[in-house]
Amino acid sequence: MYGGVSARPLVRRGALIATALAVIQCLGCDELYPEVIVINEIDDEVLVKDISYSGCLWDEVLAFGEASSPGRCLSGEDRVHFARLDAASYCREQVEDGTIPELCFCDPDDAPEADPLDTGLINETPQWFNYQTVTSYEAGAGDRLVVRLTLDDMEQDFSVPGPYGH
Amino acid sequence: MGSKAASVTILAVALAISAPALGQDEGAPPEDAAADTPNDENAEVAAETPEDDESASMPEENTGEEEAPEEEPAPYTAVVVGRRPLARDQSADATDVDGETLRSSARASTLEAVAQEAPDLYVSGRGLGVHGVASGASGAMAVRGLSGSPNSQILVVEDGVPDYQGIFGHPLPDAYVPELIDEVRLIKGGDSVLYGTNALGGVLLIRSKVLRDDGIELTNDSSYGSFQTVRERLSLLVKRGDWDLSSAFSALRTDGHRDGTGGSNMVGHVGVGWTPTSGLRIVLRDRVAHLEGEDPGPVTHPNDGHWYDVWRNTTSLGLEYRQGPRFSLDAISFVNLGVHRLYDGFYSEDYLFGGRVAAYIRAHETLRLTLGLGAEGVTGEVEDRAAGEVTDVEGSATLYFFNQLEWRPLSWLRLIGGTRELWSSEHDFIFLYKAGLRLLLPGGLTVRLRVARNYREPTIRERYLPFPTANPDLRPEFSLNVDLGLVLFVGPVEVSVSGYRTWADDLIKYFGAWPSAEVVNIDHVEVFGIEAHLRVVDLGPVRLFLGGSWQDVGRYTRQNPAAKVNGSIEVGHRFGRHAISGSLSGEWVRGLFQENYSRDPIADVFFLDLALRYSYRLDAGVSFEPYLLLRNLTNNRYEYIRDYPMPGINALLGLRISYDPPPRRPDDGSGTN
Repeated sequence: MYGGVSARPLVRRGALIATALAVIQCLGCDELYPEVIVINEIDDEVLVKDISYSGCLWDEVLAFGEASSPGRCLSGEDRVHFARLDAASYCREQVEDGTIPELCFCDPDDAPEADPLDTGLINETPQWFNYQTVTSYEAGAGDRLVVRLTLDDMEQDFSVPGPYGH
Repeated sequence: MGSKAASVTILAVALAISAPALGQDEGAPPEDAAADTPNDENAEVAAETPEDDESASMPEENTGEEEAPEEEPAPYTAVVVGRRPLARDQSADATDVDGETLRSSARASTLEAVAQEAPDLYVSGRGLGVHGVASGASGAMAVRGLSGSPNSQILVVEDGVPDYQGIFGHPLPDAYVPELIDEVRLIKGGDSVLYGTNALGGVLLIRSKVLRDDGIELTNDSSYGSFQTVRERLSLLVKRGDWDLSSAFSALRTDGHRDGTGGSNMVGHVGVGWTPTSGLRIVLRDRVAHLEGEDPGPVTHPNDGHWYDVWRNTTSLGLEYRQGPRFSLDAISFVNLGVHRLYDGFYSEDYLFGGRVAAYIRAHETLRLTLGLGAEGVTGEVEDRAAGEVTDVEGSATLYFFNQLEWRPLSWLRLIGGTRELWSSEHDFIFLYKAGLRLLLPGGLTVRLRVARNYREPTIRERYLPFPTANPDLRPEFSLNVDLGLVLFVGPVEVSVSGYRTWADDLIKYFGAWPSAEVVNIDHVEVFGIEAHLRVVDLGPVRLFLGGSWQDVGRYTRQNPAAKVNGSIEVGHRFGRHAISGSLSGEWVRGLFQENYSRDPIADVFFLDLALRYSYRLDAGVSFEPYLLLRNLTNNRYEYIRDYPMPGINALLGLRISYDPPPRRPDDGSGTN
């Protein structure tokens, strides 16, 4: 009792408001997910795609210096997984294989010998290799995480699941 | 036997079985292999009386009009109505869960809600109630170390109809919605004598609600919550004279707690019953389910667009007949078909169909005999629509006869035995058996002992489909389950302890990974464990449940945890038209591995769920019940499937509105029976 007035209604009201706030907070709990951005700083000749981190998957191809759109990912710890393509190397191989007749080597000494090629070995499909960061990044609710992919902090990723399901 | 020939044979047999019974004017009654005694162990003594059992199975015979006293009308008419029992083998270890418990559960899906009440049932999850199909799906059930790939060693029987996919051989966890469920019984240790293939590790019996007295019951439950989750459940039950209707529609849609975990489940269920004459009831049921969603992939390597789209429909026609307290008969025919589409071009149509007639005879006051005859078949078509390839598959069929004898030589002793003889188009003759006893000892102590030989036929997928590999020479799986249980009732307290051991031969296991995977029968597996629980009911406003299980599953540890504990405490109070209740429930799982041989350990699962409810009832029979479910209250990060983390704390806020007018007194002229 306080000043002849019961404090109970106030306590009840307070508890009700607190509960309502907690519920509203929970209903919108996806908004509390950490925001994650990935930037490709590996090399100016390397493209990156299929970037994933803690439940986020970016459907983008990042050239050197480009950043992904912000993704709302699950809280927790994970490495950044991605597929990389060395575009210059790919282009060089295709020129060597003669699949791009419009292109030739700037320095004729770089050109391969004019041996007839086994066309069966020529692969025109770009080979994207799976990599992941060596560092594992942690992000919690409400955090903003910017991950810079660099040549020093990446390794091949053999944990990619197989193609198989059902 | 070719698939078409097998299909035609089975269909013909099924129709032949059902037709004579349908033609009779004195048909048949209860569901499935139901029992003569109430399910509740507390009610055992009541079940011993001659009036028990089947008389309760015919709703029209239990109306208030017959029981109400003519003179001196009381303000309320109390009518004791026995419920149609779910299972006939009283020596089996079983857990019963009533539909209301499932409807009010904080768990995200029906199977998870059942697992909350049964510590020895493990059900995996991956999100907010969407389990999915194919790769990355959850909802797998494991009982006593048996589960299958994924669920084929646990049989679900819904309203007397075995429910599994014709090709993949397992049920769809998303297709079970609680709105129309009257009761669920989980039989641990399986029972292939009564239920046939797939009842290797356990049987989940589901019975739908039916109004027993004239009236109407309408319920709508709408809720909205985290991750744009919308849940809508609507049920309508009507009984008017000879006709009754049970119908429900349930929809769940969510964005999911991460990309790809969203989806939608829609399930419609309708049952129409007709009681043309006393003792005879004909029931037509149909359940249709449409499931859409995706496999989100592991959290470290999410998938993009791995969607599924599934339609399933189950239709059954049943006939229930009772002739006095000594004889009853039921017949049922069913077709369960499904169309599955996956993102990679996979397309399948599958069919499960069959029929069964079972007679329940009380040959003597101490002897109860169950005799049954039936047939079942599966077939389907599979194609890769992306590559334009069709996989040849061959269906299979079984014809069977089963029997069970229950002998009660002494008032405190029941002896139960049974056999099933079946012929399979793929595996010729198979013999199954079981034996058990049940002792009712002084002081409220019950002792159970049972041994059962169960089996499962290889699925079409395991024999023919390259997902990831197939083996057409697979043999059926067999298990021999032995369990011993003690149940003690002391006032409001129930204490139960069960120990079990299972010897399984020829279990079908996948090894390796695509493209070098193989699926083979393995030699011999032994599983043993113990389950115990304590339940306190009606202790003032408090209800308490605490149960745990421990098991040693040997080498095949994949998704078979070593230990599981479930607990809940519920407090409720009713004052006048108002009622409030709150419950705190939780689960702890230990020794969980993603792979066999104890590989890929998964951290212990632990979470707490909170449910708060308030209800207000009007005179007209309308009640309003707002509620709040807070799941994973402590915001733990946990997962059942490696790299498929469950959601953090999340909420569901809902309102349930029920229209359930109180029955008018029989002397007011409203009775129609």
